[in-house]
Parts: sequence; C-alpha cells; structure tokens
Amino acid sequence: MKQCRIIVLATAFLALTTCLAFAEPTVIQYDCIPNYANWGAVTKAYQKKTGVMVPPDMKGSSASMAALEAEGKSPKADCAYYSGAIGFQAASKGLHEPYKPKGWEKIPAGLKDPNGTWWTVHTGHVAILVNTSALKGKPVPRSFNDLLKPIYKGMIVYDDPRIHGTGFTFVSGINAVLGGGQDLKAGFDYLKKLDNNILKYAKENSYNELLRGEVPIWINADGNGLKAKYVDKAPIEIVIPAEGTVTMPLVMGLVKGAPHKEAAKRYLDWLLSNEAQHLMAESFFQPVMPVKLDSSLQAKFPPKSAYAKAKVLPLDKLAAQADGIKKRWEKEIEGGQ
Amino acid sequence: MRTLDATIATPPIAQADRRRQLAPLLLSAPLLVLLLALLVWPLAHLLRQSLLLTGAPAAGLTLHNYFEIATVPRYRHALTWSLELSLAVAAGSTLICLAPAWLFTRYQFPGKRLMRGILILPMTFAGMIVGFLMIILLGRTGFIPQLLERLTGKPFLSGVGYQFPGLILAYLYFEIPRATLTLESALRKLDSRLEQAGRSLGANRWQVFYLVVLPVIRPALISTFAVTFSVSLGSFGVLLVLSIRRFTLLPLEIFTQYIAPPTDQGLAAAMSFTLLAVAFATGYGLRQVARRMEGGNA
Repeated sequence: MKQCRIIVLATAFLALTTCLAFAEPTVIQYDCIPNYANWGAVTKAYQKKTGVMVPPDMKGSSASMAALEAEGKSPKADCAYYSGAIGFQAASKGLHEPYKPKGWEKIPAGLKDPNGTWWTVHTGHVAILVNTSALKGKPVPRSFNDLLKPIYKGMIVYDDPRIHGTGFTFVSGINAVLGGGQDLKAGFDYLKKLDNNILKYAKENSYNELLRGEVPIWINADGNGLKAKYVDKAPIEIVIPAEGTVTMPLVMGLVKGAPHKEAAKRYLDWLLSNEAQHLMAESFFQPVMPVKLDSSLQAKFPPKSAYAKAKVLPLDKLAAQADGIKKRWEKEIEGGQ
Repeated sequence: MRTLDATIATPPIAQADRRRQLAPLLLSAPLLVLLLALLVWPLAHLLRQSLLLTGAPAAGLTLHNYFEIATVPRYRHALTWSLELSLAVAAGSTLICLAPAWLFTRYQFPGKRLMRGILILPMTFAGMIVGFLMIILLGRTGFIPQLLERLTGKPFLSGVGYQFPGLILAYLYFEIPRATLTLESALRKLDSRLEQAGRSLGANRWQVFYLVVLPVIRPALISTFAVTFSVSLGSFGVLLVLSIRRFTLLPLEIFTQYIAPPTDQGLAAAMSFTLLAVAFATGYGLRQVARRMEGGNA
C-alpha cells in the first residue's frame, strides 16, 4: 500500500515537473554563447525579471545563418545575434522580419537598417588579446606588423572565418586597416605571412584556452579580452593595434516566422534598455544606446584615443563580398595554395 | 564440404514449415517498416539532393557534384586523407588491441576488471572530448610538454596535439575499446585445446600462435578492422577541436559545406553518399572475405 502511494506521488511529481518545464516560456536566440558579450548574465537577468528563458546556443554567426536557411519556413529560432556583415547578409536573404524595438530611433544611422530587418545591439573592435604570462618574456606585440615576427611562431590563433563572425571581420577588414585597395591583395598578402605564425584557425571558441595560456595570442574582439582581464582575472593585455582596427557592429534581427514572436519582441525591446545595455557593457562591448556607464566600468575600457584609427566597414559591400572572401581564404590561406 | 551441406539442406519444404516461416517475417515487419522510414527514405532523399545543383535544382539530375569531388583538389584530398587515416587507424587499433584482448580472455589477475573498465571507457566519449583531452595532454602547454620541460629544460612535443601524430593518437584512443571488445568476443570462442594439441605436437609458443591461433582468429581480426575503419571514416569531432592545418577530412568538409555559408547542400549530399558508399563497400567486402575464410577453415 505504502509503495503504491510512493509510486503515485512520484508519478504526480514527474507529471507536474514536465508540465512546468514545457510551460516555461522561452525565446530561442541563435548565437547566444554565454561567454561572449555577457549573454550568460544578460539572459539570466531576463529570466529573473520576466521568467522567460533564453537558452544558450553555441552556434557562431555564420552557422546561425546557415541553420535559419536550412530550416526554411519553420525556423526553430525567434531571433539571432550576428557579427555585422553576416547579420546584414541574413537580412538580405529574407530570413528576418522587420521590427523596430523600443529605443530604435536612438541607434546611430549606419548601425541599423532603416526598415528594421537588423540593428546593432553593441559594437566591438578587433584587437590582439595577449596572455602575457604565456609569452615567457617575449615582448607584447603592439601592431599587426609585430605579429609577423618569427618569435611568435605557433602562438597566434584567429577564428575560422567560414564559421565565426569575428574571424570573418578580421579577415575582411585587415585589408582596409593596412590601406589596401579593392582587390583585397594587401589583406591577403598579410594573412599569408601571418599564416607562418598561426597555431590553428579555431573552429571552437578559444576563450578558455586564452585564459589558460594554451593560446597565447588570440585575434578577437576587445570585449572578450577585457572580460578575461577584469572578470576572469587572467594576465591578459588588450592591444589595439598601432595600424588601427576594425569596428564590428554586433547586430540582431527578428526571425521570419518566429515560433514565439510576441515574446521575442518583448525580449528584443528589453535588450536595448538601460539594464541590458549596461550588462552587455560589463562584458566590455560598447553599448549602442547612449547609456551612462558607472565610472569604474568606464575606466576599464581602453581610452577613446586608442580607437581613433578604427574603421567602420560598409556592411552592404562586405555582405556582398562575404562568400567570395571566405572561399578565397579557404583556398589561399587555410589550403595554403 | 560446402557442396555436401547444400545437398543435404534442401529437402522439399512442407506446407507447415512454410507457415512457420511466416511468423518471424510478420514479427520483423515493424523493424522493416522502421528501416524503411529511417534508412531508405532519408537515403533516397540524400541521393536525389546529391544529383541536383544547389543553386539551380530545376536544371535536372546531374553528376556535377560528384565530378567536383573528383576534380577539386581540396575535396579529392579530403577523400584520400580520410581513407588513409581510417586505414592506418583500423590497422593500428586492431594490432594494438590483440594483446589486451588476449590478456582479458586468457588470464585472471587482480585489477583485471578495473583495467578493462579503463580501456573501454573512451567508447563513451564524443570525438570532441577526445580532442580536448589531446590538447590537455599534447597541446602547446600540454601535460607532457610541461613535464618534459621540467625534466630536460625544453618543452619537447609541445603542440604535437595540433599536428598529424596528435590526430592519429586521438583516433587510436577512441577506437581501442571497440577493437578490444570485438576481438575479445572472438577470442573467447577460441578452443584452447587446439593450442594444447599444437604444443603437445612440439610447436613452440610462436608457432602455435602463427599456425594455430592466427588462422582461426583471422576472420575476427578482419571484422575488427572493418568496424574500426568505418567508425573512423565517419568521425570528425577530434579534428573540429584540433583544427589541424593544411589538412581536412571528408566528414569535416560535409560539415563545413552544410553549416558554413556559402553552403552547398548538393555537394554535401554527394560527399555523404561517397563516404557511405566507401564505408559500405569496405564493410561488405571485408565481411565476404571473413566469411570465405571461416568457410575454408571449417
């Protein structure tokens, strides 16, 4: 009899919890990597505030776009986060639905689509992230040119641009930073020379490997380096290269045919609020909205002067060239031809 | 011998027998339906996709995607590298595992179960986890290079994990359990009286192994080779983590073609079909060889 009751209770409990698990409202965001741009804390804060869960998603920008393309008319995601050019490309492929979240008008022109198929949530810059203790006495590189020195052989990593948006921004932007022309020759010549010092073109996120010193030099977003330095207290130096750098808008869009559209809209509104923008800034991406940061937080960002030579790449042109640049990189750099 | 069996085994089948054969057929019907749904249908879809141009499906059926695999150096290399790696890993793991499989079936010793458990453990790991283990062991700041640096002053083997030897090691590591288990079950069936007879006829240990044991277990060795070969052929999680430079494998190319824009699903499907055909042909061919050997031994 007693056993019977236990079984009944257990079944009831199970049924209740499964009901709750399914009833829990969710918004699915493709490319929601907890270690990137503080998405972990941002989504946790949103769940605490509204009860809506936004689960992590480890796809990079390009993989997110590919997934939305493959899913076609029945997408699994409500919104997606991308590195700028990839988001622009996804929007021009018609994967997004126009939406202007609350506060939209305050986003600077050029960092949003006038129709609302994409908009910037924060910006980052390509930087050289250096684990100084892993350098073992070698000087900290100060410029993109320094990275070509043979002393850094086997120490440099950047992300596979076919998979990750940050890697793509670097590969496509380095030409402009070095003053190259339309043919991107200067950029690809540089990447070919840099290839001699590369440890690997990472297909996985290398953040933890940078902290451990397994990867001593990672060409990635400045925000990730600042987080490694101030939040994870690793011996990381964030170098804004002497030649200048590339500004990367990180953008979002509402997916066409989103399964939880209304909930997604409320979430996207909130992401432009003071609270969310401040949380994102805590992972050291520059907020796109005019929010005033705590002075202690503001002080951790590199001085404005370091970014004087930063270039904003025209997203439309970049998006049009994206496929070609990736194919060329695959052949000339990764394939070594 | 076999012809004799055949003549004995074909008496006229009675009606009752035929009815008795119907029952197993009916009972396996759900499995057949499942196979149809989960294997035949997706395969047919894959085959069709591989014969269409991704950009222009209306252009009709074409072998263009297969042609591309054969002619574009990157894809051709991916195929040959996949074959070479799988052959090496299959041969290596079969040979390496013969000793432990022998040990586990023939000897009792303290700690045997623990040792066997540890050896079988990697079977549960995904390829990516094995990749991470390799970085921890043989990465730039891996355990082994750091140990060697402490001992000799120089970080020998540093970063080997990101090179070809690291990949081979990782593949061997996750094929070892499969090879050991397959070989073990074959060795267990081996009649130890055969060896005793050989010994009593004056053969030494090596002669017994070479002349008595090896011919009997050869089919098992071949099927172990076939299993490890086809598993290696299809896996790429290790390479995804190690990102070995100037190197790729066909399954990784499929993954890239499918998830990294500009994607080409037709090409990815053609690559999948090529991989499948190779795996199936090797598996089937080797099984035929093994069966013939077993027949010859009987």
